Amino acid sequence: MTTTASFARFFTWTALVLLLGACNPGTPDRYDISKMDLKPIPAKVSAERHKGAFAEGGSLSMGAELKPLDPSPVKTVRLDTTHKIIEIAPGVKFSAWTFGDTVPGPTVRARVGDRIKFSMTNRSDEPVPGVRITAAPMMHSMDFHAAMVSPQDKYRSIAPGQTIEFEFTLNYPGIFMYHCGTPMILEHIASGMYGAVIVEPRNGYPTKADREYVVIQSEFYAKPDPGKQKVDGAPLYVLDTDRLKDSRPTHTVFNGVHNGMVTNPLPAKTGERVRLHVLNVGPSKTSSFHVVGTIFDRVWFEGNPDNQFRGMQTVLLGSSNSATVEFLIPEDGSYIMVDHHFANASQGAIGLISTAAKPPAKDLEHHNIPATRTPTDPEAIAGKQGFESKCLACHSIGEGKKLGPDLAGVTKHRTKEWLTRWLKEPEKMLLTDEHAKAMLKEYNNIPMPNQSLTDAEIRQYLKYFEWVDAQPAGTAKAHGAH
Amino acid sequence: MGRCTAGRHGQGARGALTVRSVIAGALLVLSPAAVACGYCVEDKIAGVYDHAVVERALGAGHSIAFFHIDGTIVPGEGTRRLLETLANTAAGVDKGSARVSIESQAVSVAYDPRRAPFGSVHRALEKKFGVKNLRLMPLKVMEQPAELTAVRKY
Repeated sequence: MTTTASFARFFTWTALVLLLGACNPGTPDRYDISKMDLKPIPAKVSAERHKGAFAEGGSLSMGAELKPLDPSPVKTVRLDTTHKIIEIAPGVKFSAWTFGDTVPGPTVRARVGDRIKFSMTNRSDEPVPGVRITAAPMMHSMDFHAAMVSPQDKYRSIAPGQTIEFEFTLNYPGIFMYHCGTPMILEHIASGMYGAVIVEPRNGYPTKADREYVVIQSEFYAKPDPGKQKVDGAPLYVLDTDRLKDSRPTHTVFNGVHNGMVTNPLPAKTGERVRLHVLNVGPSKTSSFHVVGTIFDRVWFEGNPDNQFRGMQTVLLGSSNSATVEFLIPEDGSYIMVDHHFANASQGAIGLISTAAKPPAKDLEHHNIPATRTPTDPEAIAGKQGFESKCLACHSIGEGKKLGPDLAGVTKHRTKEWLTRWLKEPEKMLLTDEHAKAMLKEYNNIPMPNQSLTDAEIRQYLKYFEWVDAQPAGTAKAHGAH
Repeated sequence: MGRCTAGRHGQGARGALTVRSVIAGALLVLSPAAVACGYCVEDKIAGVYDHAVVERALGAGHSIAFFHIDGTIVPGEGTRRLLETLANTAAGVDKGSARVSIESQAVSVAYDPRRAPFGSVHRALEKKFGVKNLRLMPLKVMEQPAELTAVRKY
């Protein structure tokens, strides 16, 4: 056989295989545009105001834990807009704008082919019981990234008291953002108007997870109200539009609250497969989402299993990007979710998945949980946040020794000058100060690291410690779960 | 009615106004910026919607009119204040009710339709804004709470 004949035979077989592959009727295109529902009904705007609950629908989940998929092919979803005060960090009561009266808004869970029948009343003009300092009523709108519809029809802004209704079919699987699209959009998102729609593939996911959670990363840009208004004795915080325009957030958080899932870790057991649906809503920062102590067995970028990566350490998410990540819990412990841009993590984008955590109490939503005892002085609040971001791994307050001492009562047995110097230059004091040397010995020669705190930060820490020590014994506590 | 169908809100307006509205509406719809977020009718209205003004006006039986500002606007707080002053001093406009958004290129005013019908308020505003080579295109009118309606014949 000649070489030419061999090549001819090879190309003939190759062409045949490719042709058969292209014509294979057994692998239908899941993204066949001709089979998608792209003929939605026009939206309807009316002056009929919803009353009662601000969020309704069997497909809605509040908080991190996801409810099982509602099998109904038609999902009725109501998310009304409200203005309310939320606590984004201890003592930081922020004037927010919401969908469904929560930040983030409730998560919608559905699957490809489902029909979403959506309605929303702009209830930003309804007074909040006991509070008269929410932002002025204004126009709002809803933009579902999961929908394929005319924005001019479905996403139009409505005035306070108006209701908009529209419907659409879910054509693609994924984790999709929803948000208010009324100008200035940046201000509406930064004030809390966002949430997630999780759309499962038509035939479900290719793996079986033991735990499923949703984690939404976002930024807040808060400043004390220039009018010095207070909520329950604490200063009211409002949107800092200068910081917003410069992309300089004051808080970067998971699920709407600073260190929220450190205080209340997500439960999982050793050997379990955990599936996290992660959405970064921004509005202006990226997220390098990472879980300390494990490797992502699977990453489905944008939440679509067709966009799969294996064995990843971190997934990079721009604003409104998402990913579903799955990993195993290899042994007992607390696995730390962080934005590996650690400047963001230090602003509160931290959470834990812990084998020691208890299941969350049903129907508890963070804004409805009574506030823990917190200081009201802004400097002490900043000190508490700094302490909880940087120190909880080694110290507690009122919960006993860890790698370092329990700091309850520290201002009573150390002077302010000593503490200031200790926080400023611990390495020098370990060489010269007898108390520091004794402490090093007591704590297994693990030295206090220099945290490079500024003078202002040290002052804030001391204000916080002083506040702690002024509380009735045992009432002010701080502890990490790991 | 769609977000970017601003020209349709002028339907029924008489004579020259109708022609002007259609031209302005067509320009708005055809402009590349018109399809971007924030350039649609309700978004422009959102930019100048002041709930306190709305409540006060409707409580007194007055109406609120929303307009697109057509023309070149020099950005800045000074311009916003100047345009608001012009609007507040137009005949028929409730003093202090004008709201101007430079970003949205929109203005809203409250007025008493029994004393000054929409047409006369519109003409008075056009006269004031004309000094700055700006024209106004009616978007919608609010005569009752939570109801934005198309501008009717006048």
